[in-house]
This record gives sequence, structure tokens and C-alpha cells, in this order.
Amino acid sequence: MNGRAQSRSSGLFFGSVAAMVALVLLTQLPGASTPRGYLKGAVAPLAVVSSGVLDWAGGGVAVLRDAGRLRADDRRLSAENAALRRQVAELQAQGAENSELRKALEFQKTYGHRLLATQVIGRAPDGLTRSLTIARGRADGLQVGMVVVGGAGLVGRVSEVGERSATVKTLVDAESRVNAYTSKSGLEGTVIGEGGPLGMEVLPKPGVVVAPGEWALTSGIGGLFPRGILVGQVAQFHRRDSATLEQADLAPAVDFSAISMVMVLTDFRPAAP
Amino acid sequence: MRYLAAALVLLPAAILQVTLAPRLDLAGAFPNLVLLVVAGWTLARGAAAGIRWALIGGLLLDLVAPGALGVHALALVVAAYFTGFLQRSFAPDPLLLPAAAGALATVLYNLVLLGLSELAGHPLALLPVLQVWVAPSALYDALLMPLAFLLLRRVDRALPLPVRIEW
Repeated sequence: MNGRAQSRSSGLFFGSVAAMVALVLLTQLPGASTPRGYLKGAVAPLAVVSSGVLDWAGGGVAVLRDAGRLRADDRRLSAENAALRRQVAELQAQGAENSELRKALEFQKTYGHRLLATQVIGRAPDGLTRSLTIARGRADGLQVGMVVVGGAGLVGRVSEVGERSATVKTLVDAESRVNAYTSKSGLEGTVIGEGGPLGMEVLPKPGVVVAPGEWALTSGIGGLFPRGILVGQVAQFHRRDSATLEQADLAPAVDFSAISMVMVLTDFRPAAP
Repeated sequence: MRYLAAALVLLPAAILQVTLAPRLDLAGAFPNLVLLVVAGWTLARGAAAGIRWALIGGLLLDLVAPGALGVHALALVVAAYFTGFLQRSFAPDPLLLPAAAGALATVLYNLVLLGLSELAGHPLALLPVLQVWVAPSALYDALLMPLAFLLLRRVDRALPLPVRIEW
């Protein structure tokens, strides 16, 4: 009986593996990206609703946390404060969104790009890819390769487009490469996503050293990103006299764990990679 | 009925995986809710049932994840099949077996994803990924697995076993 169950599960296993390998190969074909986008777009509304509910619940959790802290204080004040803090937390939850939009407006004034603001509705289900799902898609004019920014700086590029949603490969993704320069020393290099922190391979110049605290901005070389978008801040610079490339550790300008709103640059057409 | 139950459990798990799970970040890792459900169901019902749920859950996860379809389904099928070995090899236990199954399933699932990424021409540095992502997530899933198993055993008891006609 056990042997029969094992042989049944082995048959199912090998059949499933073969079917999934075929599906992976099939949906990686260039012509499959459009139907794949439509299929993925069908579940995007569920992610929008879920994300909205979780944002709302997150505000509630913050209230409970605050109220718990106040319980140690005077009982009367604590009761009053709990009510006030609840209101503050609720306003903060709304305010965070407003502040991101204000930053977006500021960004638009500074850089002069046309922006399309959108909500982050999901993240990659595993830790191996660092991507975001946004609530705009082909219907809003989004295309693969478009540049995505947050209020504080560069977020990444659109990698997949569905009808009403899109995937953004962030600059902390292991596959991400962004050409950048340092703000004071003016050294050129490539910012490489490493899953969390950022690394920058810097082309050395004799006598020039990158100082911690300098900013790295997109250089525009390669045509994939416009020049002058903030990427990160140099945390550490590793000088190696014999190396052809020097290495800097960067802290990303954008907090990817907390980002809830992003903007897509709709008037910048990237060069073909 | 069985497939309806699978959809009712796995669809919310897949949606919450891309919306809620990344917010539960601890030491750089977050749990894989679909994997927990699939591994828990395998422990409750055996490898064949686990593989069926892995296919459904994996395809749902593929719909909310970037990239080709079938990637997460394939990784989950492998995880379910080998969790089935554990289920058959050890006496039922409410704590240690689920925890071990959770850790094993997470490691296998991530190794398949890494392998597929390598085959697709996007190699990831294996050792840092194992240290920074795979090991902490295996620990995270191992801690959550006994609870997931407890809940899924209730679902298992509520659902009638399929009747198989033997000739």
C-alpha cells in the first residue's frame, strides 16, 4: 500500500516537474510576455485590496503599540493620550502618503520630468529577487524599461508590464546595474545591487578619493537612466592601489522596506539595453 | 471540493505572500506562507496531495511574482515531494517533524529557484545568498511550521478523504 502510494507520488512528481519545466520555457519566449501580463493583471486587484487593508491595519497596530507605552503613565493622561495618539497615528498613516506625494511634486519641480504616481501593491514573494509590483500598467502608458523613482531618489526600472499592474526591478536587486558618479569627487562607476546594501565599482583617478557621505547620482551613461537622480550615499570607500576598480559601499537613498508610493518617469525614453 | 478547499487556502496565502509576508521581515528574512501551507498539507495528507497543492499554490504565486510562469510551482513541487519522504519516514510528531520539514522545504525551494535563476543566465552568488537569505528563512519557516501544521491538520480532519476505487 505504502509502495503504491510512493510510486503514485513519484509519477505525479515527475509529471509535474516536466509540465512546469515546459511552462517555464514556454512563458519565457518573447511572444509570451503579453498573455503573461494579462494573466498576472487578473490577480492584481486582489493585491491592491490586500495591500490597502494591510496599510489600514498597520495604522491600527501602531495605535495599539503607542497605547501600550502610555499605560505606564498616569491613568487619566494615558486615557486621553491614547485617544490623541490614535488620531495622530491615523493622520500619520495618511500623512506619510501625502509626504511622498509632496516629495514627488518637489521632484518634478527639480528634475522637470513628467511623473505618474502610483501605489506599491506587492513585493517579490522570495528574497532572491528584489522587485515591487505597482498599480499602473499598459493602460496607463507604462512600458518596459521606464525609470521609477521615489521621493528620495531612484527606485529602479519597469521590468514587466501587465494591463493594470507592472513589476519594477529595484536597484537593490542582484541583477541591477546603474551607471553613476559621485557628487564631490566626480568619479564614475557602476552601482551594483547586492540584495540589500549597494556596491559601487568606481573607476579610479590618480589622487582622487571618494569620501564617506558623498552622494552617488545617475550619470546617464548608457542611456538607461536620466542623469542626476539620487542613488545612494557613500558609507565606506575601499581604496586598493593595485586594483583597476575601486569599491564603495552605498546606503540606498530610498528605504525599500517602507516604500509605499513611487513615481514613473513617463517622458524619459531609455535606450535599448 | 478538494480543489475548492485548496483554492480557498492557497489564494489568500499567495496574495498575503506578496503583501504581508515582506512586512514580517526578521534579520533580513521573511516567511513563505504558500510553502508553509504546501509542506503542512504534505505532512497531513502525503506527497501526492502535497504535490497537487504545490502545483496550485505555485502557479498562484507565479501570477503575483515577476518572471516566467511555473518557476515557483516547480520549486514547490520539489519541496512537497521531499517533504513527503520525511512524512513517510518518521512517526507523526506535532513539533519536531513539522519544524524539520519546514526547514528542509525552504532550503529545497530556494535551491531550485537559485538553480533556475542560474539556468536563465542570472547567476546569484551562492554562499552569500545561503547565509543572508536561505538560512534565516529556513529558520523562520521552521519556527512557524508547527503552527501551520496544527491549522492544516484541522482542515484535513474537516475534509473527507477522497475515495479511491481499487480494481
